[in-house]
Amino acid sequence: MSFKLHAITLAAGFALSALTAPVLAEPIKIGFNVPLTGFAAADGNSALMGAQLAVDQVNGAGGINGDMLELVVYDDQASPKEAAPLAVKLTTQDEVVAGISGSYSGSTRAAATIFQENSTPYISAYAIHPDITRAGDYVFRTSFMGEVQGRAGAKLIGEMLGLKRVVVITLNNDFGTSLAAGFKEKAADFGIEIVAEYEYSIKDREFGPIVSSIKADAPDAIYASGYFFTAGPLVRQLRAAGVTATVVGQEGYDGQKFIEIAGPDAEGVIITTSLDRDSTDPVVTSFMAGFAAKAGYPADMVGASGHTAVLVMAEAMRQAGATDKAALRDALAATTLDAATGHISFNGLGEVRKDVQVQIVKDGGWHHYTVISDPVLLAPPEQ
Amino acid sequence: MLILDLTVQGLVQGAIYALIALGLTLVYGLLRILHVAHAALFTLGAYLGVIITNQTGSFALALVVAMVVVGVVGIGIYRFAYKPMLSQPPLVALIASIGLFIASEEIYRLVFGAYSISFTDPPLQTQVEILPGISLSYARLMVVGIALVFLSVLGWLSASTRTGIAWRATVTDPDMARSCGINIENVRYLNFFIGSALAAAAGVMVALLNNQVEPTMGAVPSYKALAIIVMGGLGSVRGTLAASLALGVIEAFGTIYIGHLLDRDAIAFAFLILVLMIRPQGLLAKG
Amino acid sequence: MAYEITLLTTMAIAILFALSLNVITGFCGQVSLGHAAFFGIGAYTAALLTKAGVPLAIALLPAGAMAGAIGFVVGMASLRVRHDFLAITTMGVTFLFVGFVRKQQALGGEVGISGIPQVAFGRPGLLALALVCVVLFVLVALHIRRSWMGFAFDSIADDEDTARILGIDVIRFKLWAFVIGTAGAGVAGGLYAHHIRFIGPDSFGFVESVTVLAMVIIGGIGSIWGVALAAAFLSVMPLWFQFIDDYKLLLYGALLFTTMRFAPDGIAGLAGRIAARFAR
Repeated sequence: MSFKLHAITLAAGFALSALTAPVLAEPIKIGFNVPLTGFAAADGNSALMGAQLAVDQVNGAGGINGDMLELVVYDDQASPKEAAPLAVKLTTQDEVVAGISGSYSGSTRAAATIFQENSTPYISAYAIHPDITRAGDYVFRTSFMGEVQGRAGAKLIGEMLGLKRVVVITLNNDFGTSLAAGFKEKAADFGIEIVAEYEYSIKDREFGPIVSSIKADAPDAIYASGYFFTAGPLVRQLRAAGVTATVVGQEGYDGQKFIEIAGPDAEGVIITTSLDRDSTDPVVTSFMAGFAAKAGYPADMVGASGHTAVLVMAEAMRQAGATDKAALRDALAATTLDAATGHISFNGLGEVRKDVQVQIVKDGGWHHYTVISDPVLLAPPEQ
Repeated sequence: MLILDLTVQGLVQGAIYALIALGLTLVYGLLRILHVAHAALFTLGAYLGVIITNQTGSFALALVVAMVVVGVVGIGIYRFAYKPMLSQPPLVALIASIGLFIASEEIYRLVFGAYSISFTDPPLQTQVEILPGISLSYARLMVVGIALVFLSVLGWLSASTRTGIAWRATVTDPDMARSCGINIENVRYLNFFIGSALAAAAGVMVALLNNQVEPTMGAVPSYKALAIIVMGGLGSVRGTLAASLALGVIEAFGTIYIGHLLDRDAIAFAFLILVLMIRPQGLLAKG
Repeated sequence: MAYEITLLTTMAIAILFALSLNVITGFCGQVSLGHAAFFGIGAYTAALLTKAGVPLAIALLPAGAMAGAIGFVVGMASLRVRHDFLAITTMGVTFLFVGFVRKQQALGGEVGISGIPQVAFGRPGLLALALVCVVLFVLVALHIRRSWMGFAFDSIADDEDTARILGIDVIRFKLWAFVIGTAGAGVAGGLYAHHIRFIGPDSFGFVESVTVLAMVIIGGIGSIWGVALAAAFLSVMPLWFQFIDDYKLLLYGALLFTTMRFAPDGIAGLAGRIAARFAR
């Protein structure tokens, strides 16, 4: 062929592709700070898995009006000192349109200040620090505040289980102390007598003295805050010492690891949480199947929380687009969505309003026990 | 009776501390190094203990293998990390040891995963009543037993055997020992082997008690053991034992009765500072 | 620009923090593994004051003073114990501080203090304030080094007993070292509180004490510019090395170890040796 013909063919080819090819869009960037190293690496890993699963699901279904989501992931080591500069980077250099925290309370609180400062919507997936949403109107939380879950615990033990003599074991950090505060606030309302209170550090794995003291107290129930790596040993040691009181925990226990560590002693442990593993809701079942396939281990609350946060953000983006951050914030505030961790909607402060799932360990796995649906009791503060 | 029960709990915890701190005091006595990386060997022992038990079904085998392997690793740490630094001021070895420890925690996380690992079928769980109203599992009794056994063996070794005398001579005066024909290097190797093997045993036992091995499980022992050996009088084996048991009991009572004022570590260090202000050389230091 | 300013502020605060420890451990030879507690004392003091309306530049003074006062008390411990014992005793100070603070509701307890106000003139304003503090402290340090106090520190660091025999008031100078060093840490802490604008008991623990000591040793004990350089680098290393992601902390540990193994006198020592080689 002559050169001229080459050129014309080439030009025609280009023109044709330009007309028919989809416009190559810039991905929608969502910042994601999460602990991937350090003491909280296990939870961080789960949160990332859940979030990434949600991103894959959204993109697989066509993205947000054709644009694909992308997570900009940074490891904050669950440290406020690391999280704050990362938040600055995300909002100024990486120019994310929104952010999600897959991290613990301290780092989330520090990052929230930055996101608010830069008028960028931010969702805390599972951090419970009470002041996170108080950073400003751009900050939201899709999980329970500690106090709210604590109140649910009081109703669960006092009214639904009908147990009155309770020992409270509190983990010494913001998670534990806010749970205990919420529990104690409502304990009397449900006829609970707090027989004794004990505290322990997040580094403790040996609970000999506390177990001995509880044996002497002989309570009906034990309300113990903690994470799987503290609650697991605690429950084992309690049962080994012959303490048969019902143990009630919270979402910190939520995961297969707790059952693995506590072994047969985990049977009968009850927790307040947000994930109902026996749910027949397709949103939940598809999440659980997808998570197990992606991560290689069964879903946990942290993974579910990461998943929910991304889906909520995606839903708001569908409504308001992903370019105007102020509009996105307003859309978020008005979002209602059914996700793996429940029916999500926000109050004026940006706190979530949803029911509390109660799960129990039966036959070596977490199962549905009941649901606490009490909007008055569970109402988060408005400011 | 609660007071008795708490005391027993405290002594068991003290025995665990003793197992960990013994190795540390051996190294300090010999080389004047604060061997923070000792806690990394503790964790390694725990991992090996769980993995081997789960693979082979034999806890005894796992314990022995863990002790031997970690003992050798300990010698390696001396040979490749500390030996080249002996002429430097002690702060250098301390920071290097801390660096090693941090690196080890990360290696464990990368190799074994961030999640903890557990025994699939934890042995020695049956409870036995040792005093009216106070039951301990075989595992807990074993910890105390192991601590006692190793201490006695160490005591006998250092007092009555040629190896032990060579060891003591090297601690007191390395140059003189060398001129007496003692192979200092061999003494040091043995020292690190024994100390590290003890740490591994402690790791395996703690893994058994908690049914949980995590990459960061050495964090608390890393500084707590330091506090213990200082409290006992640096380099004194008996002092370390006394301090370990005392600390275990103090923590047991402290966390229950003043836990709302100070947390566990603060109680431990308050006790340490108190001891040092009264007796700056430590409880049973040699003058 | 905002991100660069944040990084520079982080570095400035770390430099001040490390230089303050350098006075105690570098100049005067007193090992302190508890320096983070004074950082924390300054942070809490400044935060409570600014939340009550006091401007930061003024609040930094009581922050430093408070830290210095407690530093005096801790310095008294150094009169009783030395070297390894002192290292462990000061380590205890960090744990006592954290253990105490987390139980005080007035200090926020476990939840900490959040909503610490933004400084006047925002982030650039904070950076400017931090740089001013660093420069002032460097001048103080240089002055000490050249003065009689510096000579006294030096001899105490070298051989305490001989210094005493020579008639140097060891007690007075040791306490001065602690007061100056801890006050500096208090000011750095006050700046930190307004940089991150959220503080909690977990930010001032043993790990932070070790980190700042590592900065001093890697910089080269006693060397002002060496320590400043090490502090600047180590404080932002995790951020720069985000791309190696999973291996960050491993690299940090390896770095600590290899520096001690191959350059135990730190950056300053290394530079000194290179310079000497060129001089020949």
